Amino acid sequence: MIQGGIGWVAAVNVVIWTGLFLYLLRLEAKVRDLEKEP
Amino acid sequence: MNPGPASALAPAVDTRPPSAIWRALGWLLWLWIALAIVGAFLWAPLAQAFIGQSSRILFFHVPMAWASFVAFLAAGVWSVLYLVRRDADHDRAAAAAVELGLLFAILATVTGSMWAKVMWHAWWNGDPRQTSIVVALVFYAAYLVLRGAVEDPELRGRLCAAYAVLGLVVAPYLYFVAPRMASFTLHPQPVVNTAAKVDVEIRMLTVLLASSLGFTALFFWVHRLRLRLLRIDARKNTRT
Amino acid sequence: MSVPARSAARRWLGEVVAVFVKDWRAELRTRHALHTLLLFSLTTLLTVSTALGPLGVSPSERVGVLPALLWIILLFAAAAGLPRSFVHEEETHTAIALRLAATPSAVFCGKTLFCASLLAGVELILVPLYVAMMQLSIASAGGLVVALAMGGLGLAIASTLLAAIAAQAQGRAALFPILAFPLLLPLLLLAIELTRGAVEGVMPDAVLVNLVLYDATMAVAGLMLFPLVWNP
Repeated sequence: MIQGGIGWVAAVNVVIWTGLFLYLLRLEAKVRDLEKEP
Repeated sequence: MNPGPASALAPAVDTRPPSAIWRALGWLLWLWIALAIVGAFLWAPLAQAFIGQSSRILFFHVPMAWASFVAFLAAGVWSVLYLVRRDADHDRAAAAAVELGLLFAILATVTGSMWAKVMWHAWWNGDPRQTSIVVALVFYAAYLVLRGAVEDPELRGRLCAAYAVLGLVVAPYLYFVAPRMASFTLHPQPVVNTAAKVDVEIRMLTVLLASSLGFTALFFWVHRLRLRLLRIDARKNTRT
Repeated sequence: MSVPARSAARRWLGEVVAVFVKDWRAELRTRHALHTLLLFSLTTLLTVSTALGPLGVSPSERVGVLPALLWIILLFAAAAGLPRSFVHEEETHTAIALRLAATPSAVFCGKTLFCASLLAGVELILVPLYVAMMQLSIASAGGLVVALAMGGLGLAIASTLLAAIAAQAQGRAALFPILAFPLLLPLLLLAIELTRGAVEGVMPDAVLVNLVLYDATMAVAGLMLFPLVWNP
């Protein structure tokens, strides 16, 4: 049923989470930039 | 979110960024949740009563529901602070908390629905816990509607804060009292029960708690980000 | 109680009564809310009764279905007719005068009593008609009265607080159901369960206790939050 077993599912989840997190970090950098502007 | 007309008398909005430690904490958060994910799939055992691998959703569904509860609680606390101190920043913090709480609650409902389909063969069952979280969802969605319906910032802050403080009574009731009062529920017994006995495998409990902590921390981290954005918006409007 | 405290209490009570009497006097002039509540509930009752046909709900299902329908009719009637108590004040700009004339808690209590009495009136007319038209046999009439009273009171208290909030926002009366329904749902479920108990003749004590607690909690929350909603 699950191709490649449970390890593959875990790996996909970690990749998705990492992608989301990197997006959040990039957002954080943009916000930091906006905050500085006098 | 409409911050309202500019005013020369409005206090300056503090938009100083948090220290660099905040980003470092973000990376720690990433690691924590990544470990929780790995633990959920590869380390924790399967629960007895569930079909196949489906019990693994427990480690995401429950923490998200818990994080939404924390979010709504935080919104209530910030609202109390706003009503006492009338600091607009508390109002912004409360609004951001409700938004995020709503997001987590929707995710919890969706994951719960997926689980329901696998376990009980229907996307929706009328189970008391399902109903409760949807009522909470609608309650806080109404908060956002109220927010959009008031122009004046002072009035908006006051009315929404009162509503969110009402939520401090409603949310605990919906999340913890109402599901336990029902005579019949499809949900498995709560982990923390009245006997104060923890009758679930220790590995499962560890991952569950770790994931709950991670999602709660995620809420606060993203909340801070949202709050900073709201402050920038407010600053823009007091400048013109 | 000391003399000043007693006179302060008497003054407060006087304000509550004054708000109550004023609202009823205004209401009896136009009979707007009464018409809305009665017409709404009776029309809905007629619709339900006609839609279910001459045989109505099968006897085995009556206990489950009919109490729920009754409270749904009451809920919608309340949502249609009760918010007026504050919306009217805002629209005719008498709200400012009211803010000056009485303390917030007195306004809250007076308005709540007004809403409660309106609901009681509607229940008095609607429920006997409902019981007759839907062929609902009730084992415990006293239990039914308790359910209607406690449920109606909770409905009035919560509605008063939320009407005050909704009346000050854009879209006033339309906003009221959006705010009210999530808050009223637990109340409704409890009231329905209690009504079912009255129909069967077995009063569920736990449900009654919870309903009373809900009413009490709403009353306390209302007394604490209303002044903040009412005055800047």
